[in-house]
Amino acid sequence: MSAVAPSPQALATGSNKAFNDRGKPMEVRLSNMVAAKAISDAVRTSLGPRGMDKMIQTSKGELIITNDGATILKSIQALHPAAKMLVDLSAAQDVEAGDGTTSVVVLAGSLLGAAEKMLQKGMHPTVIAESFQKASAKAVEYLTELSTPINLDDKTSLLRAATTSLNSKIVSQYSSTLAPIAVSAVTRLATQTSSNVDLRDIRIVKKVGGTIEDTELVDGVVLNQNVVTTVGGLTRIEKAKIGLIQFQLSAPKPDMDNTVVINDYRQMDKVIKEGRQYLLNICKKIKKANCNVLLIQKSILRDAVDDISLTFLKRLNILVVKDVERDEIEFLSKSLGCKPIADIDAFTEDKLGYADLVEETTHAGAKVVRITGVKNRGRTVSILAMGSNSLVLEECERSLHDALCVVRCLVKKRALIAGGGAPEIHVSRLLSQYAHTLKGMEAYCFQAYADALEVIPTTLAENAGLNPIAIVTELRNRHALGERNAGINVRKGLISNILEEDVVQPLLVSTSAIELSTETVCLLLKIDDYVQTR
Amino acid sequence: MNIFGAEATEEKAENARLASFVGALALGDLVKSTLGPKGMNKILQSGSSGEINVTNDGATILKSIQLDNAAAKILVNISKVQDDEVGDGTTSVCVLAAELLREAEKLISQRIHPQTIIEGYRIASAAALGALEKAATDNSTDPARFRQDLMNIARTTLSSKVLSQDKDYFANLAVDAVLRLKGSTDLEHIQVIKKVGGKLTDSYLDEGFILDKTIGTNCPKRLENANILIANTSMDTDKIKVFGARIKVDSTGKLAELERAEKEKMKAKVDAIAAHGINCFVNRQLIYNYPESLLAEKGIMTIEHADFEGVERLALVTGGEIASTFDHPELVKLGRCELIEEIMIGEDKLIKFSGVAAGEACTVVLRGSTNQMIDEAERSLHDALSVLSQTVKETRIVLGGGCSEMLMSCAVDEEARKVQGKKAIAAEAFARALRMIPTILADNAGYDSSDLVAKLRAAHYEGKSDSGLNMNEGTIGSMVELGVTESYKLKSQVVISASEAAEMILRVDDILRAAPRRREAV
Repeated sequence: MSAVAPSPQALATGSNKAFNDRGKPMEVRLSNMVAAKAISDAVRTSLGPRGMDKMIQTSKGELIITNDGATILKSIQALHPAAKMLVDLSAAQDVEAGDGTTSVVVLAGSLLGAAEKMLQKGMHPTVIAESFQKASAKAVEYLTELSTPINLDDKTSLLRAATTSLNSKIVSQYSSTLAPIAVSAVTRLATQTSSNVDLRDIRIVKKVGGTIEDTELVDGVVLNQNVVTTVGGLTRIEKAKIGLIQFQLSAPKPDMDNTVVINDYRQMDKVIKEGRQYLLNICKKIKKANCNVLLIQKSILRDAVDDISLTFLKRLNILVVKDVERDEIEFLSKSLGCKPIADIDAFTEDKLGYADLVEETTHAGAKVVRITGVKNRGRTVSILAMGSNSLVLEECERSLHDALCVVRCLVKKRALIAGGGAPEIHVSRLLSQYAHTLKGMEAYCFQAYADALEVIPTTLAENAGLNPIAIVTELRNRHALGERNAGINVRKGLISNILEEDVVQPLLVSTSAIELSTETVCLLLKIDDYVQTR
Repeated sequence: MNIFGAEATEEKAENARLASFVGALALGDLVKSTLGPKGMNKILQSGSSGEINVTNDGATILKSIQLDNAAAKILVNISKVQDDEVGDGTTSVCVLAAELLREAEKLISQRIHPQTIIEGYRIASAAALGALEKAATDNSTDPARFRQDLMNIARTTLSSKVLSQDKDYFANLAVDAVLRLKGSTDLEHIQVIKKVGGKLTDSYLDEGFILDKTIGTNCPKRLENANILIANTSMDTDKIKVFGARIKVDSTGKLAELERAEKEKMKAKVDAIAAHGINCFVNRQLIYNYPESLLAEKGIMTIEHADFEGVERLALVTGGEIASTFDHPELVKLGRCELIEEIMIGEDKLIKFSGVAAGEACTVVLRGSTNQMIDEAERSLHDALSVLSQTVKETRIVLGGGCSEMLMSCAVDEEARKVQGKKAIAAEAFARALRMIPTILADNAGYDSSDLVAKLRAAHYEGKSDSGLNMNEGTIGSMVELGVTESYKLKSQVVISASEAAEMILRVDDILRAAPRRREAV
């Protein structure tokens, strides 16, 4: 058979020597590739510091503006199975590395494109898949070799990695504000020995108001909720003793159905009086334990707190915050050093947390409750995110999350590599050199894999409005001359030593992007049929 | 005259046979492309939920497709039986049965009676099994070689699955897991946890048991020498479960008293639980804030909402019993383990119980890039595990890579020469059907199958009884050297099931179909 087959139909009539595929599997495979590439094209333009944003209207009519690959793909209602797998792929990268969710999809699209060309030359899909896997292992090896190990104490390196990640987001102009926040948040949680950081210990509280610049890392705890001021309650307590309660301050209600039977009007008075007395007793007990700040868990069965008890609490000078969710309890008790109290009889002073100041302040139009100067603080961090409208705020949170993930990646795998397309070109060059030492189909596949990796610098250049061919060839040339860290300087629009520009990224982001996308591509390659099931 | 009810149908003789052949052959063709190391995957797309599954596990594919053909359903059934019995070879059995039927169809068109074909098939299958048994080797006396055998079997099984790239890694993992079972075939002890993220080789085998739940608030996150009470009880309030039970009171104070009484009751229950001398309490249902804080005060770790499966497995591995009343602490068997701690997999926190009473218990944590990948990896691993656990019981092994099939086919051919009458033709047909397996293997890999299979047959007649297909090179090679081995039980089960199924379908000469049950307009 000739080296270049014009179409699958022509393939089917080829000799038996080369891989002779039936018509239908080829069609299935091509349809998979078309779908997957469509997805990859959809997010492609959002790659890199000069990437564009997408406006997504969800089925509920909500609006999201983002350039986070994972978020875009999650919102696309992909129908095609292959497209769905790419969506999953991006989600997996989000779990593993948190950043590079766009790159992983773009890379997968490019690998599929390369595979398609080889399929049309009559190569067997499993041969391609196997070679791709080997190539990805090799690529990871080259990347690791290129990387520089870092120490977690080296804040400037961490900062540079976080800044690079933030630079490709909408909030890039605020990277100088957000990057230090991300770095100090994660380093506060990580120790020299820890291999992972639970991002749930970092709480991002979003408030509309002010600008992104007002975002800050709070030394203490910020609450999602506001102080209850309906009856003119307090908003500032110094030397606060904080109680976190899981019982309710409202009329008693047993779990069984009940009716209060009232026979005459005197009894009515009695019921009201008893109700007040009941609540007053509880409030007094709270006061007795020297508690002056009360956080009340939300209850679905009855009112967590009613107006009468609020009045009592106000008179007793107790600040009240209600509607604390059950899943927040763990975080709050950990960070405030207090224990949740589920019953009034168990309300004792030793379960309270202590803070120098609990205050609700109005900051740029947003009311925020801060608890500062906490004694016995647990290893948690609160970040107060601000933004002029909810769209910006949401994106700010996502970007912050990505930046946190980037720093966390460095905790997981303490090594950095250059950004700006430098590692991709480096690996691509080494792989194609390696391909020359191989024989047979494998050599061909390695070469194709190497070429496919160039999609990252190409896209970076395209999105920056540069001439991709000129840029990528120059980049290749510089690398061939031994400048291992030459990359695309998107801001200046030329090739320079990217390390000097402080564009760095964690090794884990790149290696996991390569590994995950290769794995998915191989799975897609091996598919030859759809079967409809129940 | 109308004998059957309206819409009930009958297909007779030729028609019936044709219908079953068509169904069985179509099914065989559907799964045959998934056979072997170079087999392809299928996407199963659910019509109702739109969910997708990527697999090349024969049993999974066959289970999922909707069928309206009696013979095809028989093939699905034998594949299921194979899955239950051995766990692997589900595709092979279906393909072999389909090929046997294809041969039978040809014979029938030559006017050979189905009963004659069946007789011939019986002779042939006996001969094939005899040859297979003779070729089987047993290394169970030598632990080192036996482990090597197990590794080879695991590798062979996995090489046709999605895990083929990392087969050495997973073969090792599977062998370790199975050897921990110490001969038991109860795969319940091996738990598989799937978490998206990471790559396939990030998967690992962990001793002990991992529960995908979180430890209650305010509890110690690490516990040594744990005494575990596993319970299924409501930890909200013990409601009186009589419909419409109501309390009538005449003042709020009495309501408050009632509330207090309810709390006291809960407290009594917690005290009863604590009286078991435990330091870890696992409940299938929710544990409300109040009992949770009471238990935490007593220094008892609480784990709530561990679902049915979790509770049962936990009971199994820690040697405890699931309790729902707590009045007699001395009667309740507590679970024990050396250490309970929180671990992180990906972004999730899970609870790990290590040093559990059932030493054979272990957990495989699977990681992968997509859900489909992990699901398929789980199926592959399950296949490998069940084959291995069967092999530990029935230790004989045979060679794979089409070698055993060719061996049997040669033996059947030999036998056919001695048989008199038309049966001999049927026996020869059986041999041809067996040879189809290596043919399909080669076809799937894109090699010149006719050439390869002819060479393979020649090699076997020359006495190189260990030759098979080297799928990486597309040549004939020694399967002993390549380490392509399979379980004897698997292979014999494939031949037995396939020939029985073919026989059963061949005997059919009439298909009666009852009228479909009428449903109201949906």
